[in-house]
Amino acid sequence: MSKFMAWIDERLPVSNFVKNHLSQYYAPKNFNFFYYFGALAIFIFILQIVTGIFLTINYKPDAASAFASVEYIMRDVEWGWLIRYLHSTGASFFFVVIYLHMFRAMLYGSYKNPRELLWLFGMLIFVLLMAEAFMGYLLPWGQMSYWGAQVIISLFGAIPYVGESLALWIRGDFVISDATLNRFFAFHVIALPLLLFALIYLHLAALHTNGSNNPDGIEIKKNKDTNGVPLDGIPFHPYYTVKDIFGLSVFLLIFTFVVFFMPELGGYFLEKDNFVPADPLKTPEHIVPVWYFTPFYAILRAIPDKVGGVLAMGAAIFVLFILPWIDRCSVKSIRYRGMSYKVLLMLFVISFFGLGYIGMNPATPVLTWIGRLFTFIYFGFFVALYFTSANEKTKEPPERVTMHD
Amino acid sequence: MIRIFIGMLLIFTSAVTFAATGSIPLKPVLIDLNNKASLQRGAQIYVNNCLGCHTLKYQRYVKFIDHLSLSKETIENNLIFTTGKNGEPTKIGSLMLNAVNPDSAKEAFGVMPPDLTLIARSRGTEWLYTFLTSFYKDDTRPLGVNNALYPNVGMPHVLSWMEGLKKPVNLEKDQYQYIIKGTMTDKEYQKSMTDLVNFLAYVSEPAQLDRYRIGFWVILFLAIFSFLAFLLKIEYWKDVK
Repeated sequence: MSKFMAWIDERLPVSNFVKNHLSQYYAPKNFNFFYYFGALAIFIFILQIVTGIFLTINYKPDAASAFASVEYIMRDVEWGWLIRYLHSTGASFFFVVIYLHMFRAMLYGSYKNPRELLWLFGMLIFVLLMAEAFMGYLLPWGQMSYWGAQVIISLFGAIPYVGESLALWIRGDFVISDATLNRFFAFHVIALPLLLFALIYLHLAALHTNGSNNPDGIEIKKNKDTNGVPLDGIPFHPYYTVKDIFGLSVFLLIFTFVVFFMPELGGYFLEKDNFVPADPLKTPEHIVPVWYFTPFYAILRAIPDKVGGVLAMGAAIFVLFILPWIDRCSVKSIRYRGMSYKVLLMLFVISFFGLGYIGMNPATPVLTWIGRLFTFIYFGFFVALYFTSANEKTKEPPERVTMHD
Repeated sequence: MIRIFIGMLLIFTSAVTFAATGSIPLKPVLIDLNNKASLQRGAQIYVNNCLGCHTLKYQRYVKFIDHLSLSKETIENNLIFTTGKNGEPTKIGSLMLNAVNPDSAKEAFGVMPPDLTLIARSRGTEWLYTFLTSFYKDDTRPLGVNNALYPNVGMPHVLSWMEGLKKPVNLEKDQYQYIIKGTMTDKEYQKSMTDLVNFLAYVSEPAQLDRYRIGFWVILFLAIFSFLAFLLKIEYWKDVK
């Protein structure tokens, strides 16, 4: 075996790679609950790729037969229903995991110096993932697939001068049609997954350059022993591999419970209207995007002007990109930050959930006004953070990491 | 912080449950896919009364062998009434189609009777049950009947031979008076409609027959696996101070 490995290593430094990134890659020993979600996101990415391959074997990207081919998968393909539910549930859980992963970064300041680029790659992944999910949602060719896409693509039409031609260019037709379905299929199964793969690689490469942040928000590389090993670091393998196996199995427990017992999740994961084939002549009563888009959708609806709404929605995502430069506090972790940040983050989380709820429901006047309030809080978070973070009353972070659980 | 966050998540999820509203309250219906007799009766009602207009175009007859515990002969002799172009009986592996001409259907009812394979998923079982038990006599409508849940529906009361025909005493309170007797009592009709809706619930997603059963074992396996993974983690981590 060792001879074989030596032969390989001479030609490809596999052993070195394993050392540098697993067995002698030192991660802080004080990771908590929020540190499971990066590994889980990678797991779901692989799950989506694998189930996606099996789905494409039987799916037909053709407006006349797409809906029927999904039902064919659900009924006549051996285990097709399981593959499909894993994929559809996986899409929703991807966002659950990504949102928690991003929230973790906000809790512990993981986007701060020297990890700004890591955050930017992560944000690009988030945006591409939204595009990936949006295009994938058209493929079952149900009523909500069709009208959801119709509404969202028509938003591009709001852009001055070029809007209408841009929307036309995206659809490849004057309405959502077979042409749109075909190109969305191409993007969903090839273009975006390839880009996602590349970005995930860069995200991990950037992560391994400076190492992980941790719940105390201090750099473990500042305290090293005589061998240059961080005193508060433990080798990723085996410590975090066994921990992540545990995390993954608990995640799978929840995930498979949804897959097997409630794959529609009361209409949030699979919407009722999507069991009706797409009908360009019949608009559903109540068009809503899937739950993971609803916070941004609510911001769009909160602005009375169409162009303004589109700009606000874009800004809501863009502002996250520049978070590392908005937050000027030198202390990373919320544990040692001032009360102002704790209150602001709490308000931000409440507004995000509130917007999500409002985006799922028909726009009544009351909900629209509450939506405006939450939109104000959402953007207010970043504005207030910019002004308060520079002179925040922080506590002194400890020299060494602390263990809590 | 974690506790506050999880607490907020719980409050949020309980707040977002809302029900679909119709013109009248939906009536509860007991769905039991393990009740094969009920599914068989539902299939019988469906092919005799509904399939003539409403296809089940994603469902194959042959699935009834495993799913409804029916023999090939029973299906061929009692559930398949259609023929191919040359008059040969429809094969058991076929999808459940009919011979409706869309143009004449539109002329008669205003719309093409929709395919019902997925109706239990798009409308919900309670909606179907309420719809089927809410037809009443209304001479202002072209077909002489109306529906309390789906006002001015284009569909005639096909099952009036079973239920009879009722006129409303108080529509909102679901009070009626029968003016023509059917072959069934009120109770019998409700039971038959439960069977029919149960059948449609099955047809909308036959995978239900498997997924609950398999899901139980998957969850059990993962529970044990998580426990072992937890012990393994503890074992590795005991020297991390």
